[in-house]
Amino acid sequence: MNPALLRNSLRMRLLAGTLVWIVIAILVAGWGLGQLFHRHVEARFDTELKNHLDQLTAQLILDEQNQAAIRLPPSDPRLNRPLSGLYWQIERMAAEGEHPASAVLRSRSLWDETLAVPADTPADGEIHRHRIAGPKGAALRVVERTVTIDTHSLRLIVAANESLMTEPVAEFKGHLWLALGVLGAGLTLAALMQVFVGLAPLRSMQDALGRVRNGDARQMEGAFPNEILPLVNDFNSVLAQNAEVVERARVQAGNLAHALKTPLSVLANAASASGKRDDELARLVVSQMDVVRKQVDYHLSRAQAAASVQVPGMRTAVAPVIEGLVRVMRRVHAERQLEFVVLPGEGDPAFRGEEQDLQEMLGNLIDNAAKWARSRIEIEVGAAAGGLLVSIDDDGQGIAESERDRALGRGVRIDQQAPGSGLGLAITADLARMYGGDLGLARSGLGGLRASLTLPAAPEMFDGKIRRRHEPANDRGPDTGGGNASPRHGAR
Amino acid sequence: MRILVVEDEPALAAQLAEGIQSAGYVVDVAHNGIDGHFLGESEPYDAAVLDIGLPQMDGITVLRKWRAAGRTLPVLILTARDTWREKVAGIDAGADDYLTKPFHMEELLARLRALIRRAGGHASSELVWGPLTLDTRSSRASVEGTALTLTGHEYRVLAYLMHHPGEIVSRAELTEHIYAQDFDRDSNTVEVFIARLRKKLPPGMIETVRGLGYRLNQAP
Repeated sequence: MNPALLRNSLRMRLLAGTLVWIVIAILVAGWGLGQLFHRHVEARFDTELKNHLDQLTAQLILDEQNQAAIRLPPSDPRLNRPLSGLYWQIERMAAEGEHPASAVLRSRSLWDETLAVPADTPADGEIHRHRIAGPKGAALRVVERTVTIDTHSLRLIVAANESLMTEPVAEFKGHLWLALGVLGAGLTLAALMQVFVGLAPLRSMQDALGRVRNGDARQMEGAFPNEILPLVNDFNSVLAQNAEVVERARVQAGNLAHALKTPLSVLANAASASGKRDDELARLVVSQMDVVRKQVDYHLSRAQAAASVQVPGMRTAVAPVIEGLVRVMRRVHAERQLEFVVLPGEGDPAFRGEEQDLQEMLGNLIDNAAKWARSRIEIEVGAAAGGLLVSIDDDGQGIAESERDRALGRGVRIDQQAPGSGLGLAITADLARMYGGDLGLARSGLGGLRASLTLPAAPEMFDGKIRRRHEPANDRGPDTGGGNASPRHGAR
Repeated sequence: MRILVVEDEPALAAQLAEGIQSAGYVVDVAHNGIDGHFLGESEPYDAAVLDIGLPQMDGITVLRKWRAAGRTLPVLILTARDTWREKVAGIDAGADDYLTKPFHMEELLARLRALIRRAGGHASSELVWGPLTLDTRSSRASVEGTALTLTGHEYRVLAYLMHHPGEIVSRAELTEHIYAQDFDRDSNTVEVFIARLRKKLPPGMIETVRGLGYRLNQAP
């Protein structure tokens, strides 16, 4: 196995460990059981041979000529079938110095063969064992004893093919290994299941984390076992803390804006009033005040967005944001009788990010469209490659192609006619890019400008697991959000 | 035309009052949300400039309470936080327009004029009634192209009548709309302004409806 794979995969580690033990246990069990059976069969085989020898001994007599004879041949039919593998043989022991001994009686199964048993003289009552080559070279297992009747010493021999013993052992071992193989496969399967079931919470943790990273969830959700629950809880509290830090940064950025802008207003108005009396310094203050305001707006919006882009698990429904902005435009431009057409798109399109950022981007674009439109503004929400596409069309005079790039740049004001900071499009383009989206300008079918805003989409809601992020804007009084962080009450 | 300014920053409040007064309106100033709310609910203003960030009661709450009490005066909100969330919240609470700080006084006056005009159902900054023309942008009145020379009080009386042409306007109503709240009012002075206006206008244009008030007629 690849050592890196083993090192990197918890599952592989567990599996490899278990498999090694399964293999060792099965090998030991197979070898041990085989040995046990072998010994058992061998013992039985020897007992059987001895029984045949006893039977032969019991039937041995000397006839009238003092020749050895068998009163009743042993009953095993194998002893009568030629070369059956089971044999007996009786030899007359030669007298002292007389050699070789000669066979006097043989079982019919020996046919015309003679068992060539090495010379041996077991003491009376002893049984000796040998292994010899028998007919056709088969290995034979031999038992013998010496019987003395009167003065005649006779050597009684019973032999059997070893294959009669080894065959059942081999057959048993075959079955044994097969059974052990099945057992091993079963154990391996069980180990696999155990590893997969045991490690399933890790996978669900991974999924939960993936959902957080994709922005589908703000926290890791699901039931986790006690062993990894602390990890999940810790991670969730890190996420919550992160969101809190971002929210605090946002509130403080807002407070900073507020704290700066009222004095700026006072200064600008004072300078403006004085500027009418032809004061060079006052005019300078008025013009620089615009620069300051633009810089504050631009960098504040950037700081807020930079903070919130980092926070996972954001989801903002697009339709309510557009509705709110269109309400503003209808009221503010009430007397121009502008027609707003909103096509909110299939399902419930949602943006993967902060509501406030979406509000800024769409607000700037819709505001821009409303400023320039003659009578009609169309807002359409659709799908783009892997994201949302919001296009905003107006029937105003549009922006010439050569001017569009400049319009997306910082602080460029195409035309001084319409009121506004001239930063709206640039801020929107910047915010969109921070979220990995884009802002494109083109000629609209209505005759004016078409602004196409591409943004990352949040996935469809399922089972209501994901909270709808949109909260009615009224719930948060703009100046109540800061709580103690707000410098207003303390400073004044 | 009487305008309520609710702004807690004293310098800015003073500038607003001065700027709006110089455009020919009467201005009352409140420096916190509670005073602002009380004035707006108890006095008949023609428009209000309302800062959102106010001590004691924030501007959005003030605005919601006015609307809940049935006050329909046009309201221009001032926001410091230039966020669309705040603008949406303001409009949903019942504001008619918003302006982001810092702003140019000219722009505030333009928006205010537009709101008052819109509230009176007038489409243009020039109000025309018979031979009479009132330019709310320059605070000037003319009869068939000839400019009239009017004092501030005379202009306010005429402007109020021009915003409600053909309607009977009571003396008390006129008094309320041409004087600031803390001004020592004397409804007899209205008669003095009416008498002076009658001398400057074509005869018969301002009719006295006995026991009810005055009416601006189209033709003599």
